[in-house]
Amino acid sequence: MEPHEFKLTEEGIKAVLPPLEAEIMEHMWKVKVATAGQVYEYMKEKHPDIRRSTISILMNRLCEKGLLQRSVEKGRGGMRYVYSITTTREEFERKVVQSILDALMTNFREATYAYLSKIKK
Amino acid sequence: MLYLILALEVLLLIEAFGKLGFVMVGFAVSLLGALYVWATRHRFGENLIPLEREGMPWLYDGIAELARKANVPMPRVYLLDDYIPNAYSFGNTIVLSLGLFEVLSEDEIIAVAAHELGHIRNRDTRWFPLVTYGRFLVLMATLLLIISGSMPVKVASSVLYVAYELARSDFMKKREFLADETALRLLPIPMSLKKALEELKYYEDLRTKVKVSAVPSIEPGIEREKRFTFFTETHPSYEERILRITVEMGMMRMKQVQ
Repeated sequence: MEPHEFKLTEEGIKAVLPPLEAEIMEHMWKVKVATAGQVYEYMKEKHPDIRRSTISILMNRLCEKGLLQRSVEKGRGGMRYVYSITTTREEFERKVVQSILDALMTNFREATYAYLSKIKK
Repeated sequence: MLYLILALEVLLLIEAFGKLGFVMVGFAVSLLGALYVWATRHRFGENLIPLEREGMPWLYDGIAELARKANVPMPRVYLLDDYIPNAYSFGNTIVLSLGLFEVLSEDEIIAVAAHELGHIRNRDTRWFPLVTYGRFLVLMATLLLIISGSMPVKVASSVLYVAYELARSDFMKKREFLADETALRLLPIPMSLKKALEELKYYEDLRTKVKVSAVPSIEPGIEREKRFTFFTETHPSYEERILRITVEMGMMRMKQVQ
C-alpha cells in the first residue's frame, strides 16, 4: 500500500489512514487473523453505535488498499470470510517513510538534503 | 397487461409481415423457450458453493422449515463467494452471498432466504426469466416493425414497446412486494425481515456515500455494476419495502387480536 496523503495533525498511522481504518489495522496487527464479526465485537467496546455493515465495508476497503487479504474458511459456524494482514506494522511504517522521503526528494531535493544532514549532526 | 401487450405485438407482426410474421412469432417463442431453459439450468461465471447441513445446520434447518410451511420442496441453497451482501433465486434454487453473513444476524439471514423462498412459492422464478427475455424479443420485433412497417405500424409498435417496459417494471415490483408478504407469513419472527432490510439499506447508503457524515472518514470504494434503468426500474426501494412490511405487520397483529 502506497500512502497518497499524510495528515500532519494526526498521530501514528492515522496520519495516513482514516481513523476507523487505522483502529482496525492496529487491532489486526495484534491478532493477525480475524473475521469481520470478531473485529466488530472488539470495535463495539470503543464505539457502541458502530454497525456490522460499517466494519465489513471498512475491512473490504482495507483489502482493496492491500493491507488485508480475504479468504473463505470452512469453520465450525459454517463458511465465512477470514481476514489476515498482508504486511507487518514495521514494514508498513517503512513504506510510509520511504514514500514520504521519495516525494520530498522529488519536490524539495535541496531543502530535504539540508535538513537530513542537519539531523545527522 | 403483459399478455395483452404481447398479443397485440404478435398481431402487429402478422399484420405487417403476413405468413412471415407467423414464422417470426414461432421463432421468437422457440428462442424464448430456449433462453428460459438455459437461464433456469445454468449459472455461468459464478463461484457457487452448495450449502451442506453439517456446515450451517441453523440455516439449512431454518430454510427447510420455511419450505415446509410454504408447501414447496426444499430448495437447493448455494453460497456465493461475494463480499457484497446479496441474495437471489432461480428455478428451485436460492443463492446467498457470503457478504450477508458479515452484516446480518442468523434470524435476518433466514428472513432474506424467506423472501427468496417467497419468489419460488409464488412462481416468480419461472416468470421473471420469461418476462426479462421477453423484453428483448419485443425490442427486436419493434425494431423490425419500425424498419419495414407502415407509419401506423411504426407508431403502434413503439407505443407497445414503451407499454411493455412499463408493465414489466410494474409487474416485477408487485412480485417483490408479494415475496415480502409471503416471507412475513412464513417467518417465525416477521420483524427480522424489516431489520434485515434496514441493515441492507444502511449498507447501501454507506456504500453510496449518502451517510458519509454519519461515520467519519468512510468513502466506500466498492461499487456495484450500475445499470441504466430509466423508467424501467424493477426493484422497489428499501424504503418502500420497509414501509409496506411495517403496514403488513400491523395488519397481521390486528388480525391476531381479532
